[in-house]
Amino acid sequence: MNFFTLIPSAVEESRDAIQEQFHGVPRLHFASLGVTANRTLAILFCLTFGIASVGFAQSDAEFAKANQGYAQGRFKEAIDGYESLVRSGQWSANVFYDLGNAYFRTNDFGRAILNYERALALEQHHPEATANLQIARDEAHALELQQSWPDRYLRFASINQYSITAVVAFWIGVFCLVTLIFARRRPAAAIVLLVLAFSTFSGAIFAIWQLDRGAKGRTLAIVTAENVQARIATADTANSVLVLPPGSEVKIVSTRGDWIYAALPNNLRGWIPAKSTQRVRL
Amino acid sequence: MSITTGELGFVMSSEVETFREMTSRISTFQRIVIAILGVTCLQFARADSPSVTAVLSKSQVAVGEEVQLEVRLTGARSADAPEQIPVDGLEIHRTGTSQRVEINNFNLTASVSYDYTILPLKEGTFTIPPQIIHVGSSSLRTPTLTLHVAASSNQPARQYRRGTQPAFDTGKLVFAELIVPKKSAFVGEMVPVQIRLAYDPRTHPQLTEPPEITGQGFTAQKLQQSGENLETINGKTYNIVTFKSAIAAAHSGKVEIGPVKAKAQMVVPRRSSAPRSRSPFDLFDLDDPFSDPFFSNPFSQFGERREVEISSEPVALDVKPLPQNAPLSFSGAIGNFTMTTDAKPKSVQVGDPITVTSTISGRGNFDRVNAPVIEDDHGWHKYPPSSKFKQDDEVGISGEKTFETVFSPNEKKQTLPVLAFSYFDPVKEQYVTLRSEPVAITVQGTAAATQNVASSRPASVAPAPAAPRLAVTTKPADILYQLTERPAATESFAPLYTRPVFWIAQLVALLVVIGFAGWNVHRAKADNREARRIAALQHELAERMRKLHRADASPREYYAEASRAVRVKAALASGNRQVDPNTVDAETAADTFDLNGDSRERLRRLFEQSDEFQYSGVHNGSGKISSENRRDVLELIENLK
Repeated sequence: MNFFTLIPSAVEESRDAIQEQFHGVPRLHFASLGVTANRTLAILFCLTFGIASVGFAQSDAEFAKANQGYAQGRFKEAIDGYESLVRSGQWSANVFYDLGNAYFRTNDFGRAILNYERALALEQHHPEATANLQIARDEAHALELQQSWPDRYLRFASINQYSITAVVAFWIGVFCLVTLIFARRRPAAAIVLLVLAFSTFSGAIFAIWQLDRGAKGRTLAIVTAENVQARIATADTANSVLVLPPGSEVKIVSTRGDWIYAALPNNLRGWIPAKSTQRVRL
Repeated sequence: MSITTGELGFVMSSEVETFREMTSRISTFQRIVIAILGVTCLQFARADSPSVTAVLSKSQVAVGEEVQLEVRLTGARSADAPEQIPVDGLEIHRTGTSQRVEINNFNLTASVSYDYTILPLKEGTFTIPPQIIHVGSSSLRTPTLTLHVAASSNQPARQYRRGTQPAFDTGKLVFAELIVPKKSAFVGEMVPVQIRLAYDPRTHPQLTEPPEITGQGFTAQKLQQSGENLETINGKTYNIVTFKSAIAAAHSGKVEIGPVKAKAQMVVPRRSSAPRSRSPFDLFDLDDPFSDPFFSNPFSQFGERREVEISSEPVALDVKPLPQNAPLSFSGAIGNFTMTTDAKPKSVQVGDPITVTSTISGRGNFDRVNAPVIEDDHGWHKYPPSSKFKQDDEVGISGEKTFETVFSPNEKKQTLPVLAFSYFDPVKEQYVTLRSEPVAITVQGTAAATQNVASSRPASVAPAPAAPRLAVTTKPADILYQLTERPAATESFAPLYTRPVFWIAQLVALLVVIGFAGWNVHRAKADNREARRIAALQHELAERMRKLHRADASPREYYAEASRAVRVKAALASGNRQVDPNTVDAETAADTFDLNGDSRERLRRLFEQSDEFQYSGVHNGSGKISSENRRDVLELIENLK
C-alpha cells in the first residue's frame, strides 16, 4: 500500500524534494518558511508508517527465508529465522506454528509442542496447529493437564471474546440503568434488559477468571527438556513425584530460585528445575 | 533421634545431652505438650504388633571363639527374655540389653535388643532352640538357629576370656571388628554387615576419619551408626559403637571384605621410663596401659591426645554367580519381595491416563528393583514410571519401593494389563516372578486414531487457494504443511483487558454514558419548568373561574376576567407549543378549541366586550353584570375543551 497517495501534502513535499535534486536550488519549506502544523504532522505520520512498513517488509523477507529453509530441509536455519522473528516481537500464530513444525522436524518435540501451544494461545481456532500438536504429543508421549469442567465448557470462546462480551454487556447495562433512573415510567423491557446485561457481564467475567487461571491459562508452561522429574523438594536427590516427558503441560504455582513449584498432570504437584520448562504466554 | 540405654551402664550420647538441655529450658506447658505428643507417639508404637528376630553374628566358628547372638524385639519396649540359654556344648549368657526409639517421618518405632555371648566349648553342629519371649500377655518365639563349631579356626577368633588367645589385643585402648553374617552370597546380593568399634571410655576418642570398609570387588552402602553401649570384654569395660551397612559383591569368586579402617583422636598415656605402679583398673595384672602413673594420679600428670588408626581383620566372602535362566522381567533384584498393585481412576475414557501404583516390599537390593513390566501392552500406552523408596532399616535393604506408572488405554478395556516383577531368591536359589492380580476397570469411548489426525482434517479448514503452501516431502503422513501467510499486524499474548486501547475504548464509552446522563438531566429540568408553568396556569384558571361564578363583579371586571380565563385555557390547551396566554386572541383561542361558527362568534364578542370595557370607558360605574350575561359567558368558557 502506498501511503503517500493518501496525503496530497506529503506528495507535494516529495515532489519538491525531487525538484531540488534536479535543479540544485534548495527550496526551503517546512517550519522555517511557515509550513503549517498540519503539514508537519502529516510528514511525521508518513515517516512513522514508512518505517513501520519497511520493518514489516524486512520481517516478511526473514519469514520467507525461514520458510524456504524449512522447505529445503534446512530445519536449523529455519528455526533460527523463526526464532529471530519471535525475538523481534513479530508474533503471529502462523510464525509459532511454523516454528513448531521446524522443531518437530529436528525431533525436539518439547519445543514443537510449546510453539503449537503458543500458536493456539494467539489463535484459539488454528486447525493446523491443533492437528500437529496432537501428533507431536503422541510422538513425545507428553502428559496433559486435566481440565476442570468449567474450563472445558468455557473454551468455546477466547478470553478476548469474553472480554468484548463483558464490556458490551456492561455498557448496555449502564445505559439501561441511566435510562431507568431518568425515565418517568420504568418500562419492564428496560428492567429485563438491565438484568440480562449484568448477568451476561458477570458470566463473562467469571469465564475470563476461570480461563485465566485454568489449565490453559496464563501460568501454563511446557516441559522442553529431556528426562525431567518432578520432585517433592528443591533438590536433585529428592524423591521423584512424576517423570515428565518433553512437551508435558505443567501449571506454575510459584517460583523459588532455580525451581518452580508446579501443578502436574494426574492432579499431582512437585518441584521442577525452572530451566526445563518455558511459559506458553510470552 | 536415637536414645540407647544399656544394662551395664547408662550411656548418654551427645544428642541426648542436647535433648536434656533443651528440656530443662522449656516451660511446664511445653513439657506437658511434649509429654502428650510422646505418649501419643508411644501409643502408635504400641499399636504395632511386636515381632522378634534372632541373628547370629557368625554361623561357623571354632572352639573357644565367641559368637554374638542378638535377639531383637520390634514393636515393644520391654520383654521377659531368658538370662541364659541352655545348650549342651555352648555357654550362652546374656551380656547386654539395649533399647531403641526411632522417629522416622513421624512413625515412631520402639525396639529392644538382647545381646547374648556364645562360647563354644566343643566342636560339632549345635541347634539353638526357639526361645519364648513374653511381651505383655503374648508370647513370641525366636527362630531356630544352627551354629557349626570347628575344632580349630583359620581366622583369628574373637576371644575375650582370660587364658585363651584374644581376638583383639586387649591391651589396646581401641579396636574394630567387622561382622559379616554370611560366608557365601550371590553376585549383587545385599549382605548386611556390622562394624563394632570398641574403645576404653577413659580415652575419650573423637573420630577424625569415620570407619570405612576397604577392599575391592564389592559395593557398600553408606555406614549408619546404629547404637552405642557398654560391654565387658575379658573383664575390661569397653564402649562399643556399632555401625551398620550392607555390601553387594560385584563378581563371583572369593571376595575379601575389609579391613575396616578408621582414625580417631584419643587420650593415650604418656610414655615414661619410670617404674609403673599398679593401677586401680589393673587389678588382675592385665598390663593395662592406664596403669601408667599419670592415670593413677590424675592431678600429677596428664595423658596426651594422639591420632590412632583403628583397623579390623578382613573377612572372606564366597560369591556365587546367578543362574542363567533369568526371566525377561528380571532387572537384577535379589532378595525376598512381595508386590501389590492398584489403579486410579478405574473408570476413564479412551486416551485418559490411569495411574497404576505398584508397591514392592521386602528385603534385598532395592537399588536394582525396577518398575514391574507390562506383559501384554496391546492397546495400552505406557509412560515412564516414577519411584519412591521408603526404607525400614538403617542401611536400606528392607523397605518398600512404590512405582507410579501412567497407562493410557488406546481402546476399550475391562482390566488393567498384568504387571510382572522378577527377582532372585538367594535362600531358594531360584528366580521368582510376581504377577499382579487383574484389576477391573471401565474404559469408555472409541479407539483413538491419532495417526489420522492430519488426513481427517475437515475440508473447511483447508487454506484458501490464494495462500501458497510449501509441501514437505520428507514425512508426508505426519505433520501438516508450513503456512506462508503472515498477518500484517503482530499479535499479542496479553489479554485484551490488559491493553491500553481497551481502556481507551472504555473511556469513550464512559464519556458517551456521561453525555447521555447529562442530556437526561437537562431534559428532566426542562420538563420541570413546563410542569411548573402548567401548574401556574391551572391555578390561575381555577382562581378566575371562581371569580366568574361570583355575581358581585362589574361588567368591566367580569369581562376582563372572562377573556383572561379564555386565554389561560387556550394556553393550557396548546400543550407542547407553550403558548403565552398574553398572546392569545379570540381567533387563536377559537382555533385552539376548534370552535364552530356560533361559538366562534360568541368568543369574538366576549373579547370585543372585554376590550370595550377595558379601553373605551363605556359602562364604567358601580353596575353589576346581569345574571343572564354571566350565565352566557360561563357556559361559553366551560364548553371550551
